[in-house]
Amino acid sequence: MADAMMAWPELRNPFDARPLHADGETTVLYQGRSVTLAETASGDGLLVRTEDLPRINGFEVKPEGACLGDMCVPLRDGLLVNRDGRDWLDLLAFADALQQPWVGDTQARVWSFAEIPAHRQNTLQDAMVPDIEVTDRAGNVVRFADLKGKKALIVTWSSW
Amino acid sequence: MPVWQRVYEEINDPNFVLICAAQDTGGEAVAGPIFDAANPTYVQVVDQDHVISSAFNFVNVPSAAWIDESGRIVRIDEGTYSQVHRIGEGDAAFEFGTDVYTPALKDWVKKGADSVHVQSASTVAANMRAHTFDQQKADAAFRLGNLFRAHGQADKADRYWALARELNPDSVNFIRQDLTLSEEGSAGETFQKMMGEYVSQGRDYYRPLDIEAD
Repeated sequence: MADAMMAWPELRNPFDARPLHADGETTVLYQGRSVTLAETASGDGLLVRTEDLPRINGFEVKPEGACLGDMCVPLRDGLLVNRDGRDWLDLLAFADALQQPWVGDTQARVWSFAEIPAHRQNTLQDAMVPDIEVTDRAGNVVRFADLKGKKALIVTWSSW
Repeated sequence: MPVWQRVYEEINDPNFVLICAAQDTGGEAVAGPIFDAANPTYVQVVDQDHVISSAFNFVNVPSAAWIDESGRIVRIDEGTYSQVHRIGEGDAAFEFGTDVYTPALKDWVKKGADSVHVQSASTVAANMRAHTFDQQKADAAFRLGNLFRAHGQADKADRYWALARELNPDSVNFIRQDLTLSEEGSAGETFQKMMGEYVSQGRDYYRPLDIEAD
């Protein structure tokens, strides 16, 4: 049975060892995206430049806080850090404030963030399609919220 | 994948979108040739980080969601087989899948909200699995493992995949993906033992397929 269920076994592990990023860089994973940060600051958390926040998770720092759509998170003490005259956001404390799970490998300088729970409520409570986007094999970005007006079947599969 | 292409061609409705997402952690190198062999015209996605499964709280493949024109999910999380598949011969032969799913899908595409296969929002919400903090953290750990694997760092990949399995033992996807790298493969003794325990504990990896055969 195992052989029959495993198509293309020679393609199982096609990867060669290579660095995650250049020395001094940091990688952040979120929603299927991988963002490489050239600059982070040392500290207890993960201090990132506020201007990097939009490409990390879509949030933007405004006077009222870090905002995405209707959601704004006030940047209380500890979230926003000024160091050497520059603003940095503690991404781990920010995730904690959003109750967003994360896992990090400090040695490799890579952090992976799960979905922000507030983004899931519309799906879990009202059965609405999750507002996520994926990139198809042709390079087109497919945003599920943009499927409105058509019926869609979204199927997952694997070669396992 | 050829069978979904056939279904897509049979439906042949410009207002119907079929998105097939491969969850192989090997990414395009693994899933690409399988897609290409089907000559697909539907939307093909290689979702090695299981972003779609996470968004819908799927724990196994093949799973699916039906989305209507308003963006509402009208069915979710069932064993999504386009037909019964028969593999092997003699004593080793076995079959899996169902022949009732595709007719139901076609009925929905044709009749929309009037299809008997459309489920209410409350039914869909009830069929959607809860996702705890730890289960969501498992998604983050899984993706971290994938990144290490994609960069050839197998030891670290194993460490974070193990963490993902520990945090979300309900995910058949995590276990099967991990087992693809083992000698016995993804459907070997370990998988069979795990599935036996899974079922005996009353856990399900698909919601019941309550579709009557015509």
